[in-house]
Amino acid sequence: MNRRVLIAIAVLALAGALAFAARPREATADERVDQITTELRCPVCQGLSVKDSTSETARQMRDLVAQRVREGKTNAEIEAEFRAAYGDWIFLSPPLTSWTGLVWLVPVAALAAGLALVTGRLRSTGIPRPSEPPSSTEVAALRERVAREEAAEG
Amino acid sequence: MLARVARIVVVVAILGLVVTLALAFRRDPHDIRTGTVNKPAPAFTLGRLDGSGQVSLADYSGKVVVVNFFASWCLPCIQENPALVRVYERYRSSDVVMLGINFQESRENGLAYVQRMGISWTSVADDDGHVALSYGVFGPPETFFIGPDGIIAGRHIGPIDEETLVTAIEKLRGQAATR
Repeated sequence: MNRRVLIAIAVLALAGALAFAARPREATADERVDQITTELRCPVCQGLSVKDSTSETARQMRDLVAQRVREGKTNAEIEAEFRAAYGDWIFLSPPLTSWTGLVWLVPVAALAAGLALVTGRLRSTGIPRPSEPPSSTEVAALRERVAREEAAEG
Repeated sequence: MLARVARIVVVVAILGLVVTLALAFRRDPHDIRTGTVNKPAPAFTLGRLDGSGQVSLADYSGKVVVVNFFASWCLPCIQENPALVRVYERYRSSDVVMLGINFQESRENGLAYVQRMGISWTSVADDDGHVALSYGVFGPPETFFIGPDGIIAGRHIGPIDEETLVTAIEKLRGQAATR
């Protein structure tokens, strides 16, 4: 009994700790800078985020983001400022709301079209299907034939 | 029926890809019409490279302004400089203003470059790079053409030649004359 109580207390304590760790909290200024600069593309790099780049341009962008965070701007406002200057290109993940969202939709559409093509092709060429069991009439006819052939062989 | 629809989708997708690529290859890579083009030019106030005070874009309201981002470490900037000098001399007594914005370098190096290259138009320092970022600059040289209405009418990425400069300036002057 005591052992069960101990296990229950341990499970409850673990659940409480997990809930405490996962509680929603406001991101710190540094975390917000990291969040935003992770999404922004470094304009002078090949596929690197502003956060990961060591270039001077990326450093200046990080400084500008940090300044805007200190000024009390929201993430959306800061991202809108960069979008106004560079367009949607400045985001490493194209937003779904603009025509660049096609980047996400086209592969899914292509996959669906490919599956439909393959399915259609297989149906038209005809896959060998398992044959149905012979009817009792066919079985009787076969038996009769076997008997006839055996009789003929003597 | 499904296969037929899928076949049509594939054909349409391939056609779309071909049209997109054809349009993309026809575009002038020096003239990227995204970001700040056709929008009001971001305002700024920057210090002169020679330390003799500050310059605001608002000071040139109602004029055609050619903003050129440059740096002494940028070889294409050296390449385009003779064209800029000739165009500046051509329009220096008109309503056309040329403004150089030094990009990602110390004021000392920027000033030495300006003096060495015979640049006599106003040059300012974008110390923290925030003005370049607000214009969506990728790297020098880049040239922006701002109309008398304060709207960015055009942008040229890379070294610019005299003909491109004059054509863009005259287009804006023509628009200003008809207003």
